[in-house]
Amino acid sequence: MNVKHISSTLKTLFTRLILPAAAALSISAHAAQPLKIGYSDWPGWVAWQVAIDKGWFKEAGVPVTFEWFDYSASMDAFAAGKIDAVTMTNGDALVTGAAGGKSVMVMLTDYSNGNDMIIGKPGVRSIKDLKGKKVAVEMGFVEHLLLLNGLKKAGMKESDVTLVNAKTNEMPQMLASGDVVAIGAWQPIAGQTMKSVPGARPIYTSADEPGLIYDVLAVNPASAKQRRADWIKVVKVWDRVVKYINDPKTQPDAVKIMAARVGVSPETYLPLLKGTRLLSLDEAKKIYVKGDGFKTLYGSSKIADEFNVANDVYKSPQDLDSYLDASFTNAK
Amino acid sequence: MSLIAKLTDSETRKRALLGIGSFLLPLLVWSLVSYVPFIWHPKVEVTVPGGVDYFQVGMLVDRVQFEDEVAYAREQHLALPAGKPANPIYLPAPHEVAKAFYTGFTKPPVQKDAPWLHESLWHSIQIIFWGFLISSLIGVPLGILAGTYTTFARLSEPFIEYFRYLPAPAFGALAVAILGIYDGPKIAIIVIGTLFQQVLIIANTTRKLEATIIEAARTLGARGVKLLTKVVVPGILPDLYRDQRILLGWAWTYLIVAELIGTSSGITFYITQQARYQHFDNVYAAIMIIGIIGFGTDLILGGLGRRLFPWDRAQDRR
Amino acid sequence: MNPNTSLSYLDQSADVKARFDRINQRETILEVRNLGKRFRSQQGEVEALRGINFSVRRREFVCVIGPSGCGKSTLIRILAGLESHTSGDVLLDGKPVKGPGQDRGMVFQGYSLFPWLTVKKNVMFGPQMNGRSHDEAERDARLWLDLVGLDKFADAYPHQLSGGMRQRVAIARALVNQPRILLMDEPFGALDAQTRAKMQSHLIDIWKNIDVTVLFITHDLDEAIYLADRILVLKAHPGEVQEVIEVPVPRPRTPAQFNSPEFRATKARLEELIHPAPEPESEDEQAVQPHLIRFTNVMDNVE
Repeated sequence: MNVKHISSTLKTLFTRLILPAAAALSISAHAAQPLKIGYSDWPGWVAWQVAIDKGWFKEAGVPVTFEWFDYSASMDAFAAGKIDAVTMTNGDALVTGAAGGKSVMVMLTDYSNGNDMIIGKPGVRSIKDLKGKKVAVEMGFVEHLLLLNGLKKAGMKESDVTLVNAKTNEMPQMLASGDVVAIGAWQPIAGQTMKSVPGARPIYTSADEPGLIYDVLAVNPASAKQRRADWIKVVKVWDRVVKYINDPKTQPDAVKIMAARVGVSPETYLPLLKGTRLLSLDEAKKIYVKGDGFKTLYGSSKIADEFNVANDVYKSPQDLDSYLDASFTNAK
Repeated sequence: MSLIAKLTDSETRKRALLGIGSFLLPLLVWSLVSYVPFIWHPKVEVTVPGGVDYFQVGMLVDRVQFEDEVAYAREQHLALPAGKPANPIYLPAPHEVAKAFYTGFTKPPVQKDAPWLHESLWHSIQIIFWGFLISSLIGVPLGILAGTYTTFARLSEPFIEYFRYLPAPAFGALAVAILGIYDGPKIAIIVIGTLFQQVLIIANTTRKLEATIIEAARTLGARGVKLLTKVVVPGILPDLYRDQRILLGWAWTYLIVAELIGTSSGITFYITQQARYQHFDNVYAAIMIIGIIGFGTDLILGGLGRRLFPWDRAQDRR
Repeated sequence: MNPNTSLSYLDQSADVKARFDRINQRETILEVRNLGKRFRSQQGEVEALRGINFSVRRREFVCVIGPSGCGKSTLIRILAGLESHTSGDVLLDGKPVKGPGQDRGMVFQGYSLFPWLTVKKNVMFGPQMNGRSHDEAERDARLWLDLVGLDKFADAYPHQLSGGMRQRVAIARALVNQPRILLMDEPFGALDAQTRAKMQSHLIDIWKNIDVTVLFITHDLDEAIYLADRILVLKAHPGEVQEVIEVPVPRPRTPAQFNSPEFRATKARLEELIHPAPEPESEDEQAVQPHLIRFTNVMDNVE
């Protein structure tokens, strides 16, 4: 999914030096105020809109304010300590944390179930067809990880393909140009690519490796500690949201609310929702356990951490235990 | 006298006609490209998928590829696909944009509590207003000082020259850290994007004031602050006003990055969002709204300028 | 000297001589002593003025004339206080000049009116800068506009006026401060011949009626002789005083005197001093060599 590590050096500089200081100053000011949560345009997070529109937070007795952001802007705001929590991927939580914006992942919202994909041009039908060819991905980002995962499953190595670094936004043109045989992109850019290069099809997606990318609600550690009871209430509201979206009777209403949030028609939005596997509390409890591999949040985060270090997104491995705390999800 | 009056009258009419023509001409080109099937239309919109496995109704395919598939289907005795010439998705037809323009203002937003289009627009205008006001409050005096006093210019201009090349959007994260997530950082980006150019442009304008005007004032007894307020400032005012009109347009171009910083809001965020989901009719409608606002403001300011500076004949020229 | 002219420019009639005696008895307004000006340019150090000595008596009309490069503009700008000098003294009423001041009025060739002010407000500018109230300044402005004949144009903007009218405003604007001396830097240089003649007569009229001393720079010999009591002739590179000529043409002056013997004798002397080619060609101009090809039929002669 949309992992976006902070790309420009300038920005990194600010994030490393200035933002932590600003964050430290502003944490205490948030006590007893509504929890401020930043969310952005990804189906698993737009889902919160259902609870907002239905007034479920009020019913649960927890004051929250949701702020709508562009994804990378939401991480900037979180790193700057301007919001108490943000929705992001587990990998990005590590990247943001490495730059100074530490967080606790209090709950899982979903995992990408096909919305991230490697798309081959017409004629390319499987990962094996990529051998010795050029593939465009945004290096260090999640589609890069997805490709490596696919290559490994096909019994290949990274060196079996030639990687071309390109911006995810430019992938449709990259594939259309014919210079590469496959690209990596997430929705809605992936859909855009397939529309602009008819005959292009996904050859490997996040549905082939569930748990490669988990999406979480990451909370400022101080707020997680001070407002623990409130965060547990937020987690409970999420369970209600997932049930409402997954129930066929209420799903159309849910999709309508979510589509309205991003300004498209429900018909356009429904396929995007399909590529996202929303996680109920019970499902999340099974994933939020210690273990290796993609089946658990611990394992997935460890792989993401290793990938980030290997690709120089940050220098040294993160202390995963400080990011992961299943007690909110498991609370009675 | 009446002859001159007639001449100028026909002159104005001619100018007005040309002005309208300058808008109609691009519209005509756009209409031709959109409505005449054999002009451009590099794509084919599939109406009947036929036997081609990946074709769907409404899909846009390159013409060459479509013809290829038709030939292949014929060869294989499959059901023939059908389609009609179409333009790429990023070029909607004028009537589609006009419709999006109309519904944008008349249809209530689907989402509860979401702002109407005009509310988004008003929000953006406020961002521009405050950003430009703050920038001007700092930039205009600095520019005049730098243009008047060489020492001041030498002290300030090298840094400003350097700083103006720094990309304003890169300061987004810093602006959020200092000013919060709402309008503060957006206004800050407008200020950063405008201010440095403003100082340099206004300093230059100030330098262009005729030296003998200042010398004349000095021989008449003006000095110090009075020389600045009674001679330099009024002397450059019409040009300063013109500069400000140009810089205001500049501020608008920074709006699109400003509105992606902090919480998302405003007209250009609407554009970004709609473009992401390929609703280009809405995108163009919103772009046109900005164009109308910008152009309208400039026309009004231009008219105002002619009233404010009756001595400055350059204000009449456009 | 021209042997055909029986009259020398040095010969003065009794009336003229008596007038100069009277002038010389008046107090000195402006005294320039051993004035020098050097400045650095890209070509190295340039000496613009060297050892300039002269004085101007009260209500005297002095013209400064000289070839281009003689530093006459530099001289007047130093007197106005717009430029500094590197040696010598400039004394106004015995006191050294430091910077511009209202005791010296200046009229520029390019008018230099304030385009954003109406004619009246242009004239009011000086008094207001010197602490007069709005009403006083307006009263003075009206008076002086009346004097230069522009009372009807008080509310017009400078761009609405002709060149001659603009220069009248500039004169009124300089005189309203009641300066001890009026410095004029080729004020009529940009005007057409007819307007220029009119302005010359007008200036003489003003000078006759007002207690003002005039130092007037020009490159027009006729203008200098027509206007001046004395003419300061400068030479170029460096600018030095070549001669001070007491103009023998009797007053009151009229354009009819342009053919009088005194006038012609003075002009002959000035031409001799400044050389017949008034403006020596610069190297750039010498490099311009027109290469004329005939574009018309050989039979189609115009001469």
